[in-house]
Amino acid sequence: MPLIDVRDLSKVFEVPEREPGLRAAAKSLVRRKTRDVRAVGDVSFEVEAGEIVGFLGPNGAGKTTTLKMLSGLLHPTSGELSVLGHEPSKRERDYLSRITLVMGNRNQLQWDLPALDSFELTRAIYRLREAPFLEQRDELIELLDLGDLVNKPVRNLSLGERMKAEIANSLLHRPSVLFLDEPTIGLDVVMQRRIRTFLAEYNTRHDASIMLTSHYMADIEALCERVIVIHEGSLLFDGALGDLSDRFAAHKTLVVTLGEAADLSGYGEVVEASPTQVTLRIPRGDTAAVTGRLLAEQPVTDLTVEDPPIDDVIELAFASGDS
Amino acid sequence: MTTGAIDDGLHESGLRAFLRLYATLFRLAIIEQFQYRAANYFYMIGMITEPVIYLVVWSTIADARGGEVGGFTAGTFAAYYIVWTLVRNMNIVFTPFGWEQRIREGQLSSQLVRPLHPIHYDLGFFAGWKVVVIVMWLPLATVLSLIFKPELNPTVAQMGAFFVAIWGAYLIRSLLLWMLGMVTFWTTRVSAAFEVFFAAELLLSGRLVPVRLMPDWAQQVAGVLPFESTFGFPITALVGPISNEELVEGLLTQAFWILFGVAGVSFMWRRAVRNYTAVSG
Amino acid sequence: MTFLRIGVMNELQYRANFFLQIIQSVVAVGTGLIVLALIFSQTDALDGWTRPQLLAVLGVFTMVGGVIGFIIEPNMGRVMADVRQGTFDYVLTKPVDSQLLVSVREFRLWKLTDVIVGAGVVVWAVIVDDAPTGLANVAGFAVSLLAGSLMIYCVWLMLTTGAFWFVRMEMLQELFTGLYRAGQYPVGVYPGWLRAGLTFLIPIGFAVTVPSEAVTGRLTIGRLAVAVGFVLFLMALTRIVWQWGVKNYSGASA
Repeated sequence: MPLIDVRDLSKVFEVPEREPGLRAAAKSLVRRKTRDVRAVGDVSFEVEAGEIVGFLGPNGAGKTTTLKMLSGLLHPTSGELSVLGHEPSKRERDYLSRITLVMGNRNQLQWDLPALDSFELTRAIYRLREAPFLEQRDELIELLDLGDLVNKPVRNLSLGERMKAEIANSLLHRPSVLFLDEPTIGLDVVMQRRIRTFLAEYNTRHDASIMLTSHYMADIEALCERVIVIHEGSLLFDGALGDLSDRFAAHKTLVVTLGEAADLSGYGEVVEASPTQVTLRIPRGDTAAVTGRLLAEQPVTDLTVEDPPIDDVIELAFASGDS
Repeated sequence: MTTGAIDDGLHESGLRAFLRLYATLFRLAIIEQFQYRAANYFYMIGMITEPVIYLVVWSTIADARGGEVGGFTAGTFAAYYIVWTLVRNMNIVFTPFGWEQRIREGQLSSQLVRPLHPIHYDLGFFAGWKVVVIVMWLPLATVLSLIFKPELNPTVAQMGAFFVAIWGAYLIRSLLLWMLGMVTFWTTRVSAAFEVFFAAELLLSGRLVPVRLMPDWAQQVAGVLPFESTFGFPITALVGPISNEELVEGLLTQAFWILFGVAGVSFMWRRAVRNYTAVSG
Repeated sequence: MTFLRIGVMNELQYRANFFLQIIQSVVAVGTGLIVLALIFSQTDALDGWTRPQLLAVLGVFTMVGGVIGFIIEPNMGRVMADVRQGTFDYVLTKPVDSQLLVSVREFRLWKLTDVIVGAGVVVWAVIVDDAPTGLANVAGFAVSLLAGSLMIYCVWLMLTTGAFWFVRMEMLQELFTGLYRAGQYPVGVYPGWLRAGLTFLIPIGFAVTVPSEAVTGRLTIGRLAVAVGFVLFLMALTRIVWQWGVKNYSGASA
C-alpha cells in the first residue's frame, strides 16, 4: 500500500455571493446567497515512502487546499484519502505525531523567547523522550546551520533565520511525511539554497516523504524528481520532471556550432544566429531527423539539443489547462 | 484526549508529558511576561481605578448612613475591593474577541496539525502569567491597604478555601470564555453578544458591587448563573462573613461549573472543528 | 443622488460598527443607570449630589467619552503608531501645522452614538430635576463641555508626545482609559489627593464634573472662570511641549 493514497479527491466550498448595488446589499442583510466553488475536483495520485513530490499550479489552483486535506485541516467533500494508513480528517494523535505541515510566513515560535524554549514546548506537545529529542534537536541545529541563533529571541531573527528555526521546530518529532507549503517564500537566494540542501539531506537520512509547493522553480528542480501539476482543481500532469517538457513543450531547441558560416533556415525556425553559432527551434517529433540531416549536410562542429527552460514549460502546461 | 503512548523509544507516557507540557507553558509565560513587566504594571494601575471608584462611592454611602450598608463598613468594603484586584487578575483569560484573529491568521490551523487540544496552551500559558501578576500585585495591594485600611481577619479555613477558589475561578472563566469565543466559528458578528455577556457578568458576578447589596430577585438570578463563582465567591471566601458550610458549598458550586465548562467546551469544540474543517479556505 | 447612494452603501458597510456601537452605548448607559438605582436604594444623596444631578454626571461622562472615542483617541493612537513605524516623517514634511494635522486625521463616526445617547441622558436629567434650567445654565454647559474636551485633548497629546522618547507608550492609553472611568462620579467624592490628581493632573474632574454642575445649576461663575483659565494655560503648555517634542524627534532621527 502506498504511503499516501489519494482517490477522486474533491473539495467544494460554499461562498457567499455579493452582487453589486444597493438593493443587493440590502437584500443580503436578510438572506445570503451562496454559490459552490470547486477548489479540487477528482484528483488521484499515490506517493511512496521517501519520495519528494513537487506540487505545481498557479495561485488558486487548489494546491493549499489539497495539502490542508492531507494534513487533516479540511474535510474532503468526496473521494478517499489515506496517509500512513490513517484517514487524515479524523486527526488522530498517532497520525498527527507522524506528519508535519510547514507554511511559509506562518509563525509557530514564541515571538519574545529564544527558539530553544519553543523547542521545549514542542517536545512536551509531541511527548518526546529526552534522549531522542536532544539528538534530533542538535542534528537539526547543525544541519540548518542555526548555531547560536536558537538562543536569541525569535523577534530578533531575520526572516530567513526565523524560517530555519521554524523548520527545525516542525521536524523535532521526526515526522515521516512532510507537507511544505511555500517554505522558501520571501527568502533570499542563499537562504533558499540552504533550505533546499537541508530538505534533501533530511529526506535521505530519515527516508521521509515530502510534498512541496513552491513558486521558485529552482526549489522544484533541485529537489523533486516527480511533479504533480494541478490547474483549476484538476490534475494536469503526474510524472517525472523531465517528462513535463515532452508532454507540454511542442518544440526543442538546437544549438549548432558551425565550422564556417551557413544558412540553416531550411532546417527550422532560426531564433538566434551569429556567423558560427545558430539556435534553431524545431518541432519535438522532428528532432532525430533534423539532427541527422544537419550532421550529414552542414559543417557542424558541435550540436546540443535542449528542452525549453522549465518556467516556460510550466507556463505552457497551465496554458494547456486553460483551453 | 487519549493518553496511549506509542511504544517506540521516541515517545514518553501521556501523564509525564502532560505535566511537562504545563510546566513548560508555565515557565515560558513567566519568562515572556516578565519581559513586559512595565506594560503589565501600566495595565494593572489602569485596572485598579475601577475598584477604587467603587470603593470610594460605597464608603461614602456607608459613612452617610452612619457607617454601614448591608453589613459592609468602610473597612470591609476596603477589604472586598482590595481582594477584588487579585480576583480580577485571576479572571483575565484568553479573550473571546481573539478568536476571529486566531482563525483568520492561521494560528488555529497550526494548532490543529499538532496532537494536542489547543485549550491546554491557553490554560497553561495564562496560569503562568498569573504567577507574574501575583508577584507584581503584592506591592500594589500593600499600597492600597495603607491608604484604605481594610478590615480583614480570615480564618485558616477561609484562607485555604480562597487559595483553591481563585484557581477555580480562573478555570471556570477560562472555560466559559472559550465557549463564548467559539461562537465565532459559526458567525463573525459576535461582538454584540460578547458585550451583552460582559455586562451581565459585570452586574451579577460581584465585580460592580457585592451581590449581597443587590435586590433579592437579582441575587436569585445570580444564584443560577456561573458568574458569582468566578468573582464574588472567592472574594467573600476571604473577606467574609462566611461559615465553613458556605465555604464548602461555594467550592462545590465551583466544581459543578468546572464540570459544566469542560463538558460544554468539549461538546462545542468537536462541532467547531467539524465546521472549521468543512469550510476553512 | 449618486452621493446619497454611496453614502447609504457606506453606511451599510459600517452598519455592523454602528449596530455594535448602539449596543455598547445602551449597555454602558444601562449599567450606569442600574448602579445609580443601587446607590439611591441605599441613600438619598452622594456627597450632596441628588439622583437627577448624578444622572446628569452619567450623561456628561458618556458624552465626553464619545468625543474622546470620536476624535481624540483615534488620532493620538495614530501618532503613536506613526512614531513606532517611522511614518511620522510624512507628517513633518506636509506644509501644514503639524499639531493641527495630527489632531484631525482620523474620525470614528459611529462613536458619536455615545454623544447622542449621553445628551439624551442629560436632557432627561434636566427634566426630572426640580431646579429651573435657564439659558445661562445651557451656555455654561456648552462652554464647560468644550473646555473639558479640550483639556483632555491637551493632556492626551502631551502624553502622546512622550512616544517620541519611549516607543511603548501605547500602554499609557490603557492607563488613561482606566483613569477616565473615575469621571463617572463627581470629583468631590474622591479623597483629597485623588481629587487633586483628577482635577489638575488628568483633568477628568473638570471635564465631566464642571459641565454637570453647569446643567444642574450648581456652577458658580468663578469656577467656570477657573476652568476656562486652566484650559487656556493647558493649550499654551501643550503647544510648547509639542514643538519641543517635534524638534527632539527630528534631532533624534537625523
